[in-house]
Amino acid sequence: MRLLEAVDEAAAVERLHDLGCTDGLPVVVPTPERVARFVLASGLDGDAVIGEMGPLGGVATVEQISVNAVMAGCLPDHLAVVLAAVRAVCHPEFDLAEMQSTTHCTAPLIVVHGPVVDFCSIASGFGALGPGHRANAAIGRALRLCMMNIGGARPGVSDMALLGHGGKFTACLGESPELSPWGPMHVDHGFAAEESAVTVVGTEPPHSVIFVGDADDPSSVERLLDSLARVIANTGSNNAHFRAGVVTVVLNPDHAAVLDAAGLSRAAVRSELASRATNPRGDLAQVNPAFAGDGSPDDPIPAVRDPADLVVLVAGGPGLYSVVLPSWGAGPHRNRAVHERIDLDHACEVPGAPRS
Amino acid sequence: MALVTEEFWDQGDFVARSAGMPDVPRVQLPHPVAGSGAAAMRKIAAELAPSIVAALRGTS
Repeated sequence: MRLLEAVDEAAAVERLHDLGCTDGLPVVVPTPERVARFVLASGLDGDAVIGEMGPLGGVATVEQISVNAVMAGCLPDHLAVVLAAVRAVCHPEFDLAEMQSTTHCTAPLIVVHGPVVDFCSIASGFGALGPGHRANAAIGRALRLCMMNIGGARPGVSDMALLGHGGKFTACLGESPELSPWGPMHVDHGFAAEESAVTVVGTEPPHSVIFVGDADDPSSVERLLDSLARVIANTGSNNAHFRAGVVTVVLNPDHAAVLDAAGLSRAAVRSELASRATNPRGDLAQVNPAFAGDGSPDDPIPAVRDPADLVVLVAGGPGLYSVVLPSWGAGPHRNRAVHERIDLDHACEVPGAPRS
Repeated sequence: MALVTEEFWDQGDFVARSAGMPDVPRVQLPHPVAGSGAAAMRKIAAELAPSIVAALRGTS
């Protein structure tokens, strides 16, 4: 670990900017004392290796992740979530090195599940993707800074996103079981309800889906499913053309209630959306013939290969809008969603540290 | 042997260094190649084929 010196905090921040260690916004200076408190909070050894981050191949230790979490503005209590998110993106199926290098605008979305959501005050409702929620902003930003400073992503050199987007600064939200009719999502992936976990998935920015329900109209649920499916299958997305990758659907509580009232479980919603999110081959060929493949122009081409390729959760405020977040869909594993347990067994409270 | 367009040359250097192969042979192509049309691609191929062969032979 390299120790830098500066005359004061302002000079230290400018030095970090000059060294290319920031995301372009001011950071909290990672003094040895601040970093030590985070390592202490983890309950782990500072040298413990969490994973290797591409494309640079940097080794992410607890101490190095702590440096970036301090810089991002995290509290020590947030570190367990950040560690789980880093562990998730280091999983081979996430395709981190390729994802960081692509010209596509993909960025990791962190969805936090379980008791840690309340413990860390991670927002699930209005404006959960920000701005204005400290834990959401800081946790997502900590992962991004790890991807830059440990993984080596630099715009135009190793992060080749042609434009980028705001979600590349930070993208984190909590899943609130109170908002969802279907119970916590991480239970579907083998975790106990009382455990905490993260789901990390590469996504584009949210694409809004407007839908106005009508309780007197029995076909209302069909309109909602079709509205979502059409955005999932939009012919500008990689998913539609590559027929690969995970698509994330974040339903607002009102839209989730419409689906639940029609007797649809989360699994049924995924199946319905996967079967409806198709384009005729001819439509795809019209805009991108290189990817259309051979066959009848009338062949229905699904945007997601399997219902399991849809991440469906409930978050945000109630109202007219849900969102669909398409993905890159390339990479050797098609950048899968990764679910990772948040290890709170070792985490400990730091005396005198501010709490969530 | 890597073919890298000029817009991605710095990234090629970065990846080569990160992979521990800073001297891996690579040949620079103009940008863009994709979508430039069959005639343009044939022209690029004809112009660069000798340097690709030389790089593969280690004589560049």
